[in-house]
Amino acid sequence: MKPHLLILSGFLLLPATAQELLPPPTGTSPLAVATSEAADIYRSVVRIEVATQVSDYQTPWNSGRFGGGTGSGFLIGPNRFLTNAHVVSNARRILINERGSSVKHPAKVVHVAHDCDLAILEVEDPAPFTGLKYLEFGDVPPLESQVRVIGYPVGGDRISVTRGVVSRIDFRPYSHSQVDSHLVVQIDAAINPGNSGGPVLQEGKVVGVAFQGLRQADNTGYMIPTPVIRRFLKDVEDGEYDHYVDLGAAEFPLFNPAMRKALQLPDNGLGVMVASVTPTGPCDGVLQAGDVLLSIDGKPIDNAGNIDVEGEKVVLHEIVERKFQGDTVNLEFQRGGEQKQATITLTSFPAARIFALSYGERPRYVFFCGLTFQPLDLNLYATHQFSNPRVRKTYQNYVKDSIFKEREDVVILTRVESDSLTSHLGEFAGTVVEEINGQKISTLDQVHELLYADDQPEFITIKCEGSPRPIVIPAAEAKDANKRIMQSNGIYLPFYLDKPSSDSR
Amino acid sequence: MNLRPLFFLLLPLLLLGSGSLAAAPDADEAGLIRINATIQTYSPAQPWERNNPSRRRGLGAVLHDLRILTTAEMVADTTYLELESADGTRNTPAKVVAVDYEANLALVSPLDPAQCAWIKDIKPLQTNGPVNIDEQIDIWQLEDNGNALRTVGTVRSVDLLSSFVEGHFFLSYEVKASMQGSSSSYTLPATRNGKLAGILTSYDSKDQICDVLAPEIIALFLQDVADGNYTGFPSLGVATVLTEDPYFRSFLGLNDEQGGLYVSRILPGSGADESGLQEKDVILAIDGNPLDRRGYYLDQRYGRLFWTNLITGKKKVGDSITLDIVRDGATKSLTAALQRRVEPLIPSHIHDQPPAYLIKGGMVFQDLSQQYLQAFGKDWQTRAPLNLLDALRNPEDYEEGRNRLVFLSRVVATPATIGYDQIASLIVTEVNGHPIKDMNSLAEAFQHPVDGLHTIKIDDIPYVLYLDATLSDTVDQQLLQSGLPALQRLPE
Repeated sequence: MKPHLLILSGFLLLPATAQELLPPPTGTSPLAVATSEAADIYRSVVRIEVATQVSDYQTPWNSGRFGGGTGSGFLIGPNRFLTNAHVVSNARRILINERGSSVKHPAKVVHVAHDCDLAILEVEDPAPFTGLKYLEFGDVPPLESQVRVIGYPVGGDRISVTRGVVSRIDFRPYSHSQVDSHLVVQIDAAINPGNSGGPVLQEGKVVGVAFQGLRQADNTGYMIPTPVIRRFLKDVEDGEYDHYVDLGAAEFPLFNPAMRKALQLPDNGLGVMVASVTPTGPCDGVLQAGDVLLSIDGKPIDNAGNIDVEGEKVVLHEIVERKFQGDTVNLEFQRGGEQKQATITLTSFPAARIFALSYGERPRYVFFCGLTFQPLDLNLYATHQFSNPRVRKTYQNYVKDSIFKEREDVVILTRVESDSLTSHLGEFAGTVVEEINGQKISTLDQVHELLYADDQPEFITIKCEGSPRPIVIPAAEAKDANKRIMQSNGIYLPFYLDKPSSDSR
Repeated sequence: MNLRPLFFLLLPLLLLGSGSLAAAPDADEAGLIRINATIQTYSPAQPWERNNPSRRRGLGAVLHDLRILTTAEMVADTTYLELESADGTRNTPAKVVAVDYEANLALVSPLDPAQCAWIKDIKPLQTNGPVNIDEQIDIWQLEDNGNALRTVGTVRSVDLLSSFVEGHFFLSYEVKASMQGSSSSYTLPATRNGKLAGILTSYDSKDQICDVLAPEIIALFLQDVADGNYTGFPSLGVATVLTEDPYFRSFLGLNDEQGGLYVSRILPGSGADESGLQEKDVILAIDGNPLDRRGYYLDQRYGRLFWTNLITGKKKVGDSITLDIVRDGATKSLTAALQRRVEPLIPSHIHDQPPAYLIKGGMVFQDLSQQYLQAFGKDWQTRAPLNLLDALRNPEDYEEGRNRLVFLSRVVATPATIGYDQIASLIVTEVNGHPIKDMNSLAEAFQHPVDGLHTIKIDDIPYVLYLDATLSDTVDQQLLQSGLPALQRLPE
C-alpha cells in the first residue's frame, strides 16, 4: 500500500505549490476543474458483481461449482458497458454498482468475445445511468507515457486509481481463452483482481482495458489496447460477434543462409517460409508448405515474419488481426523461384476452437453402462490430464493433421464407474474411442445413437485407440445395468448433447 | 565414525546373549569373491561423452574354471572391473564373459588367469537344483574384515520378477530374511546345502524380503554360455491380454472351464508369427499346461506361475513348444519354434554400447531408445517429447521402412544452424532424398548433398531444414577442435 500512498501525496502537493505562484483564483480553480472531470470519469466506471456456475468436466452430469467474483467496467454508450469477457464468463447473475451507490442493478451480457477477452453488458433499467459520461477511446499510448488505471480491485470497496508508465507494446497471449494472442500494452502499474474490465486512461481518453497481470513479476499489468477494442466494437455492430479471422498458415523464420539458398532467395533479410497451411483454411489450395511469403497487403515481410505498421515492427498476422470475416488480404509469395500473388478471403476457423476454453456451457457427454464419453477440447483436456500419448497427440495435431475433417468430435472414454459390468474395464479410461459396433466414431451424437439404439447386436463392442482388446457389453444386460449404475452414481441424465453456442469460446 | 567402536562392542554381547560362540564362516569356503565396478554411462543429451563415473561394490559366486557369477546390473556399463579377495588384500582386473541384461545375470573371469592364484584358493560353488517353498536358503555377505556373513532366509513365494531391465520377467524366489546393511551389498549369492541356489537381485529392508533369481534361470544361463557363444533367453513374440472379463469371454466363445490368453499382437518374424498364430486367437495351453484366464499355469513345484516361465524358465532358443488355441470357436494345435526376442524398433535399454550419434553442422542425430526418454526424469512419460513418446507406445505405426527411429535430438548453435536453435526432438524421415531407416543410412545420405545443400526432412514444423554442405563440414571441423571426440559413432 505504501507506494500508492506516496503517489497520492505527490499528486496533491503539485497543484498546491503551483497555486502559490498564481494569482488567487476567482471562479473555479483549475484543481476543481480537474477534479470534476475526474469525478465524471469515475462515475462512469462501475463495479460488476458476478455470481458464477462453472461447469464440471470431470463429472459432466453434475451441476458444477457455484461461486462468484467482482470486476470493473465502464460506460461507452447508451446502456452499453464494456468489460472483460472473463469478468462475466460462466455468469448466472450480473449486478452493476454505480460509484458511491449501494444499489445493485441487474445486468446481462449483450456481446461476448472470449478470443479477445471483451464483453458488452446492459442493465435492465438504464434510467439511473442516464446523464453519465460515455468514455471515449484514444490511440495506442506511446512507450514511457503515463496512464491511469481505474477500477474496483481487491483491498477496499471504493474506487481505486493507480498510475503507471507504458513499458512495452507487444503481441502476447490472452490467457482467458488460453489460445489467442493479440496486441497488448504492458504497464508498470499493478493490475489486481477486480481491476479487470476497468478503463486505462490517458488525457481523459480510454487507451485500454485492464485485463491481466503477471504472477511471477511485480508491477506488470497488461491492458487490451484500443485497436483490439475497436475491432470488437466494429465486429458486433451487426449484432453478432464473428470471431477473429485467421490466415491459416504457420510460418518459419528464414535466418539460415542455406535455407534461403534452397528457397532461391537473395540475402536481403526479407521473406518468411510457410511451414504449414491449415487444411480447409483460407490459404488452403493457395499456399503450400515451403512457399516464401514476401508481402502482405503490400507491406514487405522480413525474415522473422514481421512487418512495419506505423513505425512499429509487428508480426505479419497483425494485418489479419484488424480484419473481419469476408475481408480479403493480398499476399505476394515465391514458389520455386517464381513470384506469385494471391488474394485470400479471410474466415474464422471454428475447428481450431477446440484449443480454446469454452465458457458457460453445459459439458456434452454420453453415459452408458458405467462408461462416460466426452468430446475432446481444452476444457476436457485441462480437467482430465490425459497421460496416453495418443490422446495428447490427437489433441495437439487435431487441426494440423486434418483430424477435424474426419472427426468433428474426438470422443474420449473419460470415466469408468464401478459395477460388476465394468470391473475389468478400468484400464480403458482416458483413451480415444475409435469404433463402436464396427462403426468409426466421428461425433458424440453418433456414440449416443449407437449405444442407445433399440436394435443392438448380441455384444456391443467398443474399440479404443491403442487398446489391445475391445470393450464388450452384452446387449441383453445393458439396459438394466445402465439404470442400476446411473442410480448408484446419482446420474439423472444419461446424456447431454446440445452443441455449444459459437459465443461460448 | 564415532559409532563404530560401539558396534564392535555390541556384537560380542549379542553373540554371548544367544548363548553360542560360533566362528565366522570362511569366505573362501563359501565361494565368495568381491567385485568392484566403475560404471560410466553416456550422456543422453551429449552422446559423444560419458557421464561422471560411479563405483559399485558387490559380490560374486565363484564357479569352477575361474568363472564368477554375478548380476548384469553389477557389470553393465563398466569401464573397469576388478575381482578382490574377501579380506581385501588381493585384486585382479576382470572381464565380462557373458551378460544377460534381461535376466540380470553375468559371468566374469579374471583378465589374466596366470595372475590370480589366489582365486584358485576359493572353493568353487556347485550349482544346486530348485528350492521348494518354505525351504531355507543362506544368503551371503562379506564384512569389511573379510568374514563371511550368512543370513538364513525362507523361500516364501515364487514369482516372475523383473530386476534390472524393466519389462523382462524371470523366475525368482521371494525370500524372507533380515539382512544387514553392508558395504558390498550388491548381488549376493544364495546357497542351499552349500550349493549355489540363486543370486539376490534386490532387498526391501522395510518388508525384509529379498528377490533371489531362481537356480533354473542360472542353470539355463550357464548352459547357454557353455559353448562360448551366448545366445540369450527365448521369446514367443506375442502380446497378450487376460480373459478375466466374463463379457469378453462370452464374446470370444470361451466356456467357464477354459482359461485362455487373448493374442493382441504378434511381432513380425517371431516364433509366434512363423507358427501361424494370429491376432485374436486365444491360447488355451502351452506344452499341455492349461493357462487360466489370468495367464497362470500350475507348476508342479511352485504352484501358479505366469505362462512366460514355460518359455524363459524351461526352454532355450531353437526349442519348440506346442500351443493349443481357439480360433473362431474351433480348437487347434500349433507348434512354435522359439527364437531370440525380435529387436524392437525402439530398444528399451542399451548397455555397454555407446549410443550411436551423428553430428552435421551442429545438428545432433541419434536413434531412439526408451533409455533416452527416461533421461527426462521421474515424470518422463509426460515430460519427454510427445512425438517420441507416441513412437515408443505405438511402434507399429513407425516400423515401416525403419530398423531404428532416427531423430534430430538437438541443434548446437553454429554458423550453419542459424535460425534452428529452437529445434529439437523431431523424427527424421528423409535426408538428401534418401529415406532414413537407421543411423547408417543417415550417414550414407549425408554423403550426397545436392547443389551444395543438405536437405533434412522431419515429421513436424518446419518439415524441412537445409544445411550448407561446405559450411557444415567447416563447422564440424571446428567442433572437433573444440573438444568433440568424433563427429559420429555408428552402430556396427
